[in-house]
Amino acid sequence: MLATIESATVHGVHGSVVTVEVHVATGLPGFTIVGQPDAACRESRDRVRAAVMSSGLRWPQQRITVNLAPSGLRKSGGGLDLAMAIGVLVASGQLHPDAVGDRGFIAELGLDGSLRAVPGVLPMAAVVGGRELVVAAGNVLEAEVVDRHQVRSAPGLRAVVDALAGEAPWPRPPEVIPTEARAPALDLADVRGQRVARRALEIAAAGGHHLLMVGPPGGGKTMLAERLPSLLGCLAGEAALRATSVHSAAGLSLPPGGLLRRRPFRAPHHTSSLVSMIGGGTASMRPGEVSLASEGVLFLDELGEFPPAVLDALRQPLEQGVIRVARANHSVELPANFLLVAAMNPCPCGAAPSPMCRCTEANLARYRRRVSGPILDRLDLRILVEPPTRAELLDLPPGECSAAVASRVARARERASSRGVPSNSHLRGQELERLAPFASSARRIVERALDTGRLSGRGLARMRTVALTIDDLADGNGTLSESAVAEALSLRADFDMQHHTRGVA
Amino acid sequence: MTTSSEARAAALLAFMQLSDVGPARGRQLAAKRDPLGAWDAIRCGKPTIDGASRDLERLWMSEAARLDPLAELQRHRAAGVTITVLGDADYPEVLAADRQPPPLLLSKGAWPVAVPCCAIVGTRRCSRYGRDVASSLGRDLAAAGVSVVSGLALGIDGAAHLGALAAGGAPPIGVVACGLDVPYPRRHATLWEQVASAGVLVSEWPLGTAPMRWRFPARNRLIATLATVVVVVESDVGGGSMHTVRQADDRGRTVLAVPGPVTSPASHGTNLLLAEGCGPCRDADDVVVALGLAGGASLPSRGRLRADAAHPEVPRGAHDVLDRLGATRWSLEGLAEATGRSVGDLSVVLVELEGTGAVVCSDGWYEAAR
Repeated sequence: MLATIESATVHGVHGSVVTVEVHVATGLPGFTIVGQPDAACRESRDRVRAAVMSSGLRWPQQRITVNLAPSGLRKSGGGLDLAMAIGVLVASGQLHPDAVGDRGFIAELGLDGSLRAVPGVLPMAAVVGGRELVVAAGNVLEAEVVDRHQVRSAPGLRAVVDALAGEAPWPRPPEVIPTEARAPALDLADVRGQRVARRALEIAAAGGHHLLMVGPPGGGKTMLAERLPSLLGCLAGEAALRATSVHSAAGLSLPPGGLLRRRPFRAPHHTSSLVSMIGGGTASMRPGEVSLASEGVLFLDELGEFPPAVLDALRQPLEQGVIRVARANHSVELPANFLLVAAMNPCPCGAAPSPMCRCTEANLARYRRRVSGPILDRLDLRILVEPPTRAELLDLPPGECSAAVASRVARARERASSRGVPSNSHLRGQELERLAPFASSARRIVERALDTGRLSGRGLARMRTVALTIDDLADGNGTLSESAVAEALSLRADFDMQHHTRGVA
Repeated sequence: MTTSSEARAAALLAFMQLSDVGPARGRQLAAKRDPLGAWDAIRCGKPTIDGASRDLERLWMSEAARLDPLAELQRHRAAGVTITVLGDADYPEVLAADRQPPPLLLSKGAWPVAVPCCAIVGTRRCSRYGRDVASSLGRDLAAAGVSVVSGLALGIDGAAHLGALAAGGAPPIGVVACGLDVPYPRRHATLWEQVASAGVLVSEWPLGTAPMRWRFPARNRLIATLATVVVVVESDVGGGSMHTVRQADDRGRTVLAVPGPVTSPASHGTNLLLAEGCGPCRDADDVVVALGLAGGASLPSRGRLRADAAHPEVPRGAHDVLDRLGATRWSLEGLAEATGRSVGDLSVVLVELEGTGAVVCSDGWYEAAR
């Protein structure tokens, strides 16, 4: 007999419908799965069999063939277990096809028949049709984010079968106990002094400008970067759903309520592998750090220590907001729309430019060269961050709080979106020139900066977008004033990464 | 060059390429009646040089097997290098009079004749102040007819020579610690060529010799010997320039130090020298006086360094920022904090000052341009 059950698998951050066809026929007893299952999926064979038997159900001593359609798609993970078990029960006549109907099933099975949560339920739920969706208790919240199905759950296979057969009501999902008390958001008010860095954070948040902070260890670079998400406001609507999908696909825990509201902040260590940064690896193409930081902030501390391959791979996401990961037989496009905050020491030992620095010229040159070129071009804001003085730490009152800055940022962002771009940093070419003309006094500054080589042709356009953001924050009229341009210039410190000269004449 | 001196040059060119051979051992070989015979003895592993261990002699034996003195002489001549051996008529007198003369001198360019020499030395990790002073000193001294001697290193050395080259006066002398065909630091390769064509580039090492650590103190001794006055522009207390100063003291040369901010680590060494009684060097005139050159009508007028400091125009409202800058390096943050100005307001002033050249910004640090 044949049974057809609907389930799904996840690929990158996108779900794909998988139809599980189970055929039970006479022949030598056996269990085969076809249709490109990966290792975890192929192991379903043993889990499904044990789960059926330990749930007090009969395992047919017949030839069982499971086909996962479409056959061209690689299936990964254990999320198809439940669908296979239900299929076997229907095909062996233990459950009526009508009792299953067009329900979708996404859960992994334990050997005792219990249902287990799987990563990526959100994107999978978004594609599975039908009125009802059965998932493990741990996935209920996530599945409900997609407001599409009646989401059902049960502790074990037996309970699912009973509910399907109408012999028992669907068990109520257990109350969700928040898995972790979420730390309160970090507030900019904790930062003492640091006017320049604060200003740079505000402009970065308002205009979507990537930021580079250079300074000695202990200068507060990490502290500042951690507070950037609080300036970006909460996630809402589509953006929240996109961010949650990525976290779901990566199997990360979601906040109570299911939907991600707080902006993600990801700070991968510089030893992170290329795959962990950009995604891929398994057949499911797990999203990497750049995707997990999507709609939020990606903080790369010790930028100069990251392998050149990783820095190179950041170019596409910085340019297009997505990252395409390709393997021999499949490729996925993952979201990677993040705000980059990079930090580095002025030199490997951290003491430059003071003569205490004991780095050799060659070391320094190598350290800086890594950051040069393509990646540096995309960092519109570049500032020096010095450790606060003792007086600043002890005597200064707390600075302005995040909420106050965030409201200015939100206003500026609105102005940017009225121009038809998500943020000013996306403005290019003629449109930029039309939207952001220079006032005559500002033009003089720009001309001089171009003459002295302080600004390059490409740098000019990037500086212009920053100046426009500064103008937006000041509720200006779009004409770039002298002070907006001057500020944009001085927040674009000229770190000579190409051929650093320390003592050269 | 006579035949015997040619033989000595050939033997030395080969010998100086062996491991652990410095000027002292070179002098031993040069003093032999038959240097090429001595070379053959070394090649056979016979004890020839005093103080060389048995192991070293064995090492020399294997290294010498690959070297042919006459071919070395050919190679150096083909490369256009002038070879001078201790005892030759054209060997510089000032070096010949020293107690540690180099047995062999290789040079490119022409030796300045009857010109006073002043060494300008200092740290590689110099501040902008040090660089500016070194370059002005180099320029003014060259213009005053004083040859600038330096080591062509990064920082002060390079700045001094660049200044001297710009003036186009007395020919500069560059003393290096490796082969003349091994520009080190590589970034100064052009500067090497410029010094060689305007003045002379000197080394006591055969072509192809790598810049090893221990060769730099030997180079410092040459600088101290060649110069009549040694000016230290900026140096840390433990810097290599302090070694040059000791060498100069041993040889009775006059040492002058450029005063620097007491807070600047790059000036710790020079300020220490001043505290110990060494003469100050404020500008080229101080050097000229120390050299005992009278008159001064042809010299750049006193106070030239300081005269440059007065910038013709300072934009209105920028004086407080310029005063703040003083002689130290400031970050934007530090200036905003110190002046109490907003980042935007301060930026306008700084951009103005940068435009007039009163302030320079590098790596995010702002400094008054002297």
